[in-house]
Amino acid sequence: MTIRMMRAQGGGFAALLLMLLLWAFALPLHAAERPAGSSAADQAERQVERPLNNAPVWRAVRSGEAHTTNVRGPEAGVLIQSEGNTWRQLRNGPITQYGGWLLILVPSAIVLFWLVKGTIRLHQPRTGRLMKRFSAFERFIHWGTAITFLVLAVTGLAILFGKHVLLPIFGHGVLAALLDVGKTVHNYVGPAFGVFVVLMILTFLRDNVWQAIDAVWIRRAGGVLDGSHVPSGRFNFGEKTWFWIGVTFLGLAVVISGLILDFPNIGEWTRSDMQTANIVHAIGAILLLGLSFGHIYMGTLGVEGAYESMKTGYVDETWAKEHHEIWYQDIKAGKSGHP
Amino acid sequence: MGRMKFLCDAERCIECNGCVTACKNEHEVPWGVNRRRVVTMNDGVPGERSISVACMHCSDAPCMAVCPTDCFYKTEDGVVLHDKDKCIGCGYCFFACPFGAPQFPNGQAAFGARGKMDKCTFCAGGPEETGSQAEYDKYGSNRLAQGKLPLCAEMCSTKALLAGDANVVADIFRERVLRRGTGAEVWGWDAAYGGGEQKRERKREGQS
Repeated sequence: MTIRMMRAQGGGFAALLLMLLLWAFALPLHAAERPAGSSAADQAERQVERPLNNAPVWRAVRSGEAHTTNVRGPEAGVLIQSEGNTWRQLRNGPITQYGGWLLILVPSAIVLFWLVKGTIRLHQPRTGRLMKRFSAFERFIHWGTAITFLVLAVTGLAILFGKHVLLPIFGHGVLAALLDVGKTVHNYVGPAFGVFVVLMILTFLRDNVWQAIDAVWIRRAGGVLDGSHVPSGRFNFGEKTWFWIGVTFLGLAVVISGLILDFPNIGEWTRSDMQTANIVHAIGAILLLGLSFGHIYMGTLGVEGAYESMKTGYVDETWAKEHHEIWYQDIKAGKSGHP
Repeated sequence: MGRMKFLCDAERCIECNGCVTACKNEHEVPWGVNRRRVVTMNDGVPGERSISVACMHCSDAPCMAVCPTDCFYKTEDGVVLHDKDKCIGCGYCFFACPFGAPQFPNGQAAFGARGKMDKCTFCAGGPEETGSQAEYDKYGSNRLAQGKLPLCAEMCSTKALLAGDANVVADIFRERVLRRGTGAEVWGWDAAYGGGEQKRERKREGQS
């Protein structure tokens, strides 16, 4: 259940993620602030000064200001919006390209890691005595989040990369049919994922608060380099990083931006808002997916016994002792196991 | 083959919305959908100008570039059309378009259920069989196939809105500009509609 892929990067990776998202929020998608004078005042003045030169009108055309029209509709009064081009360049450019490479390279690196290091087996034989690690509610939240996340990941990837990957193989008709269903599923499953993310944050918040013991884990890089055992509470620092950066920060960023895109009728979202939301959504989702590969690996192939814990809710005592020693001792001492 | 273009001469447009009405009537577009609209810059302020805008059938069309299903295509005449059977109503074309041309029958609906995008076809129909009922129902009439130009431009009372082959449209506009005068005068209302009478009137008002 630990995220070994992230161990080496640690805080630097977190800082990078934060910077990327802040950068996304600061994108110049919103029209530049307009001077206080307004084109109307300029225009009236110009008509007196130089009646045959009406440059203020042409500046107003290009400014993205809303003017008068009898047609009703979102931003119908805006003659030209320039931000769409910025959005197009970002979406079709770096997001598709770097995002695509990230989603190819991360799983490749994980497979390579697995081929070299192999699955982390239990060192001692199983005792046969089981300890309860996850309650039924916790497992419901986990699998609810996991399943909705995977559905959203597949449909979301199809929307961004389908044109490049599916279209050459299946052709226009099949792609359109898939995306028609995919987009509808994405739009309806999205809010459910949002509910699960919030519930997951509330459920696992307490056990993911950083503790002094995490310093040991960070200092020894989770034991991934020397293969040593690092004691930890119910969750180790790798899992906590996944919780804070993955589930909480990226999860909420994706959910909030997704809700803006999903409910254009609530609030007067402009195209600029939608473009910004789309950029945040795409970057957040790609990073979250990249991190989730690490999480899925550690929860299945990477660590023997990890998948059982989330499937059944129980772990063998040997597993508890070898992976979460402090939690094991707390339980054995009759404590709750929570920090 | 031609390269179809719209051009709205802002010195002539009088904001009558005849183009909007002609378009709606010709194609029987659904409620809430307006393939064309007239925007008046600084309405009521001296020097106001109106511009009729619809899909401009871009050479490098942003809608085409961002469409996830690649439902757009360009005809030999340079008209940007789309296949409604492939449209999933994601709204990306609307985000990308500088002119606000893409329209959605359900508008900004919850769960992004916008319906199939609708936009100006340059009166060139769509991918269905030319002149068929299916083509008319989805995309409106195909006037180009009948050798006619877009109705909005043909109906324009002041001939402000020009539509047709880019070279021809450019020639007409160039000729107008030459007749209006040179330099800064090119952009004058007076230059377009004969300044003499109006100027005299202004002078009279000034004297009184």
